[in-house]
Amino acid sequence: MFGVTVYAVDRSDPYSTQGRSQPGLSYPQTHHLPPTTMPASVASSNPSRPENLIGQLNSTHTSYEAKLKALRDLKNQIIGNRTKKLAFLKLGAVPSVVAILSSSAAAQDGGGDNLEFHESVLVQSAAAIGSFACGLDSGVKAVLDAGAFPILLKLIFHPNEKVADAGARSLKMIYQSKLAPKYDFHQEKDMEFLLSLLNSENENVSSLGASIITHSCQTAIEQQALSEAGVIKRLVALLGGSLIQRDASLESLAAVVKDNPEVASRLVLPENGRELNAVIELMRDKYPRTRLLACTCLINIRNTYVSYLQDSGIKKELILILLELLNDPGQVGDEAPFVLSNLIAEKEGMQKLAFDASIVEKLCENLQKGSFQAKRLQGIFLALADLCSKLECCRDRVLHLKVLNFVTEAFAHDSAEVRAAACIFLKNVSRSVKNLSAGHFMNETVAVPLVQLLYDSCSFVQIAALRAISNVVVDFMAHKSLFVQCGGVKQLVQLSRSMESAVRVNAVWALKNLTFLVDNRCKEEILLELSTSTLTSLLSDPEAPVQEQAFALVRNLVDGTLNSIDYVFGDDGLLLHAIGRQLRNTSKAEVLVQCMYTLSNVASGKEHHKEAVMNQLFPQTGNDKETILVKFLQSSNSQLRTAAVWTIVNLTFPSSPGACGRVTALWNAGIVSQLKCMVNDPCLDVKLQSRTALKQLMMFGDAST
Amino acid sequence: MESKCTNQGCDLDHGYLCGTMEALNVPMADTPVVTFWEGEIVDTKNYTFFTGKWGATVTGLGIMSRVEDDIKHWTKFPSFPPLLSQVEADGGKSLDLSNYPYVFMRWKEQYFVNVGTDCGLTIAGFYYVCFSCSDGSINGFYYDPNSSPFQKLELKSTNDGRSGFSFSTYELQ
Repeated sequence: MFGVTVYAVDRSDPYSTQGRSQPGLSYPQTHHLPPTTMPASVASSNPSRPENLIGQLNSTHTSYEAKLKALRDLKNQIIGNRTKKLAFLKLGAVPSVVAILSSSAAAQDGGGDNLEFHESVLVQSAAAIGSFACGLDSGVKAVLDAGAFPILLKLIFHPNEKVADAGARSLKMIYQSKLAPKYDFHQEKDMEFLLSLLNSENENVSSLGASIITHSCQTAIEQQALSEAGVIKRLVALLGGSLIQRDASLESLAAVVKDNPEVASRLVLPENGRELNAVIELMRDKYPRTRLLACTCLINIRNTYVSYLQDSGIKKELILILLELLNDPGQVGDEAPFVLSNLIAEKEGMQKLAFDASIVEKLCENLQKGSFQAKRLQGIFLALADLCSKLECCRDRVLHLKVLNFVTEAFAHDSAEVRAAACIFLKNVSRSVKNLSAGHFMNETVAVPLVQLLYDSCSFVQIAALRAISNVVVDFMAHKSLFVQCGGVKQLVQLSRSMESAVRVNAVWALKNLTFLVDNRCKEEILLELSTSTLTSLLSDPEAPVQEQAFALVRNLVDGTLNSIDYVFGDDGLLLHAIGRQLRNTSKAEVLVQCMYTLSNVASGKEHHKEAVMNQLFPQTGNDKETILVKFLQSSNSQLRTAAVWTIVNLTFPSSPGACGRVTALWNAGIVSQLKCMVNDPCLDVKLQSRTALKQLMMFGDAST
Repeated sequence: MESKCTNQGCDLDHGYLCGTMEALNVPMADTPVVTFWEGEIVDTKNYTFFTGKWGATVTGLGIMSRVEDDIKHWTKFPSFPPLLSQVEADGGKSLDLSNYPYVFMRWKEQYFVNVGTDCGLTIAGFYYVCFSCSDGSINGFYYDPNSSPFQKLELKSTNDGRSGFSFSTYELQ
């Protein structure tokens, strides 16, 4: 699931004299003081400088009023200003602020004077702490390390509503981070506390309860516990509350039901999902963020409880709403493509609906608008990738709209996530035999920068690039030499030696695809880079998927012209013996299939090729109680049966002079009686080719007497 | 005229396959002429024996023909008559062809790969094709209202000089 991460809005402080801060994104603001009027020697006496403010907070000589003023000043400087936050953090502001929070909280508990003063301090310090935590993990860490958490928790039931609000808002900021302490839903008193939050009339406190659930509810058991405690009912009620409550509740509901059909059924089944009508209504809310959260919630429920939302009207509406949200210039627009992906991933029907609603055009329009936040760019490429995952019409449309030009740009982006997303998109678009045949991808615009990504510093980008290359090299128009020339083979071979198995398997996969129906010149170049000894060690790689790809690569090498078969005979038959060894050592069907097809290809050659295959299948030494060939013919894997039968067809090919001797050996090994059981095999290829094999074997008479 | 045909991809779930055809000894061309073709597999799920719907409707491959033409062409394959009565009834929709040792297809050449459209060859029509699963042979009849009817295509699987059958593999991610 693509969760929606909410970056809390930095609300403007009612005490601030500076006016409303920019919601959502934090970006550096220009310094308040004019640069020319403060000579360096005088700068340190500026009371607003971070060091001075912190100094005032720490000092026992500062008056109450001055401390409150310093606190306010600090808070106003950091709200919406990431650079300032980092600067203050570095100077150790957080422990100082927490210390003040703590002492005012204690003073309150003790009763006594200056109640109003302490309440102001609580409000300002809580707000400052919340701001440090807002969208900044290092801030969250500092706040938690300084011990703010338990103090803030006590504040949320404070009789002064402004204090309660400040405490609750601050905790909500903390709970938006993964670093927040995990809430324990299993302890009864903690569950009761949570319910008391949800039941509070204070919108900040009740939405804090929802935020805690969004953050901490991770396992099915926790979801169950929350459901049984009646949390869902309360969350549904909050859907009718204020904006803050609605938004928090939408996120929370999604977390409680996600991937848990049983819990989801408690929402979906009663009265045909009447309670979810509120969510559907919120899809049409006037606030874009609420619409997005409602869509996310519905999609999560639908992905969990599959029969919900079969109504195509609502499905189309979801698409249209997301289409429109893509226009939002802010955070909602950044997140909309991820929500779209969640809606359509793996679902051909939804992809078709989206295609019909012209979502491809809308996403391309977005790309054309120019540079974006990395997150939005990543989202757009991932959504386009999902659209192109199964539907040829989407791939055609995307190519027609010249999206590949943006892909090339994206390959050079600073963000690794964007580079990887562009690769994933390319992989899905190129999952099209028709377009591969038309040569859209094996050209300098795409292939050359793609090969550069094989040197990327992030391995997940390398892997995404390898997977795209696996498809792109399946170029039928013999443009593969371009790939060799730009150093592609060299780097693929290098990556086939990686310590990471995911890199190895995809590198060998790409090499395999590269060798499909390829000419001998290209084969020579590959073998020169790869070397027989590296290839042999890949055949016995610790990971079976790598072995499978490596055997398939050898299979392709020995296909084509007759003399290609000699590749496995080089170095004293190094590769051939490796194949024979693996036939006996591995139990993985996928690996055996490629082994057998390789032998089958070799067996389609000359006499000495066929004899060599016989030696691998029926070694003189060794005490195979059961012929492995018979075992493969009996496999439950139809591909393995097919490969084994083709091998026999080739070994007994009528025109070959030495066929008779091989036929006798096969009769003696019980192959004929085995094949007789297969003439009505459920797999058509097996059925037909066992009949062919039998016919060929019978041509030499019954040698079993 | 000689042809070489290579099947390069197939998507059995959607009844789709494709490949290239190389026509050798073309009178007006100095090199072999290569075309890219796409095929519809008559699997009764994605496609039936009827090329278009009733009337001259265009299918996804831009193919047009009438039902009478369809029947006339399919009947020319010896492997078709056992299926005729069912096909006449409903286009063969209720037939299960998954175990039939022949595969029926329509192939449409989509574009010239290595030459211009003035090479003297036409790709306006399409082929009715029958593939034999047992020996890999392919027979076909070209259909184009503007060309002489029933031009034949006869292909045998080649072994590239080998004594047996050899297979390459690729897998798209």
